[in-house]
Amino acid sequence: MKFGKTLFVLLMVLVAIMVMAGCAASSVSNSNSESSSNAKQTKDTKTDGKTSSSAENTVNIGFSGPLSGPAAYYGENTLSGLEMAVDEINEEGFEVDGKTYDINLVTLDDQYLPNETGTNARRLVQENNTPVIFVPHSGGVFATQVFNEKENFLIAAYTSEPKIMEQNNSLTLGIPPAYSAYPEPFTKYEMERFGKKIALLPTASQYGKDWTDALKPVWEENGGEVVFEGSIDFSKDTDFFSIVTKALSNDPDVLFVGGPSQPTALVIKQARELGFEGGFMVMDQAKIEEMEPVLGGLEQLEGAIGTLPIIESDASGAEEFIKKYKERFDRIPTAEGAFNYQAMHVLVNAMKESGSVDDPTKIMASIEDGIKTLPDENVVWHINGLVNGGAFDWKPAIGVVEDGKVLNKDY
Amino acid sequence: MELLFQQIFNGLTIGSVYTLVALGLTLVFGILHVPNFAHGAFYMVGAYITLMMMVGFGFNYWIAIIASVAVVAILGVVTQQLIFKKLEGADGMRMMVAAIGILLFLEAFGQFMWGTEYYRMDTPYSSVVNLFGLTVTLQRLLIIIAAIILMLALHFFLTKTMIGAAIIAMAQNREGAFLVGINANQVAWLTFAIAGGLAAAAASLASPINLVFPTMGNLVIMKAFVIIIIGGMGSIPGAIIGGYLLGLTESIGATYISSDYKDVIAFLLLVVILTAKPTGLFTKGVQ
Repeated sequence: MKFGKTLFVLLMVLVAIMVMAGCAASSVSNSNSESSSNAKQTKDTKTDGKTSSSAENTVNIGFSGPLSGPAAYYGENTLSGLEMAVDEINEEGFEVDGKTYDINLVTLDDQYLPNETGTNARRLVQENNTPVIFVPHSGGVFATQVFNEKENFLIAAYTSEPKIMEQNNSLTLGIPPAYSAYPEPFTKYEMERFGKKIALLPTASQYGKDWTDALKPVWEENGGEVVFEGSIDFSKDTDFFSIVTKALSNDPDVLFVGGPSQPTALVIKQARELGFEGGFMVMDQAKIEEMEPVLGGLEQLEGAIGTLPIIESDASGAEEFIKKYKERFDRIPTAEGAFNYQAMHVLVNAMKESGSVDDPTKIMASIEDGIKTLPDENVVWHINGLVNGGAFDWKPAIGVVEDGKVLNKDY
Repeated sequence: MELLFQQIFNGLTIGSVYTLVALGLTLVFGILHVPNFAHGAFYMVGAYITLMMMVGFGFNYWIAIIASVAVVAILGVVTQQLIFKKLEGADGMRMMVAAIGILLFLEAFGQFMWGTEYYRMDTPYSSVVNLFGLTVTLQRLLIIIAAIILMLALHFFLTKTMIGAAIIAMAQNREGAFLVGINANQVAWLTFAIAGGLAAAAASLASPINLVFPTMGNLVIMKAFVIIIIGGMGSIPGAIIGGYLLGLTESIGATYISSDYKDVIAFLLLVVILTAKPTGLFTKGVQ
């Protein structure tokens, strides 16, 4: 009995400390009440999907992405843009064929596992009858491409992997720019500014390998030399000092890095600590704007080239989007949030144009019109139409860090 | 030559962190007789608590570490008293399921409480020093030194105090320990407290050179499992040697063989050791 009492006291102390730590958490710079509420309602956002709108009909849109596990941060980023767009659309609803509709976003967690994405997609189609499913990773896209035409739903694929557009799948909409646009300009810039020797340290995922394969020939054609080839497995490695030491022992002028933003920033930090003074070529998965807070400024990123931070966008709807996003999520908007936001608006626009809310083929056929008639306030980044049979044709967005500032590099 | 020394230093840094985590795991193994899968989650909670103490309450790094060690030690005791104690005498499978349950709970709890963001832990020890031609950050040096101090403290606690001797006795022979009148319950919760504290200390030391995020525990716990298998389940010197061995193999293997095969090398080491000595390097006699 005596121990029971001690245990009770211990428990109370623990609870008190946890709660205090939790309170402290909310005073940390960028903690977010939003993301934790996401976690709670992973399964379904039906309740807040049907806010105050007066619409009498509802269209279910699916989402299957990582909302827990190592890639949860990324999953939340992609979902955030969709949620924001849905709420804006639901304020007034939209009209198709004389009926008003609102959107209900049904989200499922797949923990970044392609097989889970497949299961989720089936479930979304069967239980919620979703004509469109957003999938934010290439593995999941490949897995759903196997059956999406047969089961009749459109995949809104958020992945820069160009191969998803090579599957001849008529119901795949590619959202972000394919990375094949980057090796050429990246190579030119880094070679001119720093030199011809590059060390490759990309993420060990399939995406990282494909990216590297796209880059290597371009670098060598331009007279460059690959002095080190390695990769970093961000799901296994706890420290990168060893491999960075090894890469730098070959005396490169440029380091090719990439992977999730924050650990990639650590690779950069450790390279600087080890005395590296050259430039960085950053794969599009890692974002300069997300690495900056990890590195405490742009100083260590000097000479880096990567995708342009969306906060630097000069498009008509960017300023308003950035303001609203920061207010709502208390984090910096990245391309993941912005492109998905815009894609959702395009999609609804395409539904209006096509006169159908449940036929994916018709919706897909009207995407081009949906892009052209997109209101200026929803344009966060410049988009021209569709390319490669169903991928958004964005204006290339490349940013470089020069003298402690991010510059928009037009190519 | 300089490269070799640099990599030895890198291996020692990462090996120190592995060792501290593996020590806790191996100690608890002596009590539970199954690996405590939740140990990685303790590591994660430890890092968050330290971070919150520093950022939220403005504590000094060292005071934050002490607070975090205390909190996670209590967390260890609570899980032992509420869950593992109730399962005493049950078969290993149930213990294991319970441990996995705690792991999943704590991970989900971490994400719920602190979100999915990656946090940076700033310490006053981020400066780079040049030591005999090696590039060393103060924090890394600190990790090595602090780990050695903690290991020595643990060693003296286990060998020079009565309670420590009781823990060893329990791990060696449960029935024997009961016969000489050792309070099994007390030893069990104390062991969990020490293991939790070590995990929190390791996490707090390693976080400044890494980041703090909900799944950070999974990365180290995998290595810790390998280490306690190499060193022998429940063996303390085994965990220490195994930890440094793995750290050094990783960094030196990555340099002189291939970084792509770094894990292969580590697991090859595991296979070789287990073939030569199936119970691990330091396990004595039959259980």
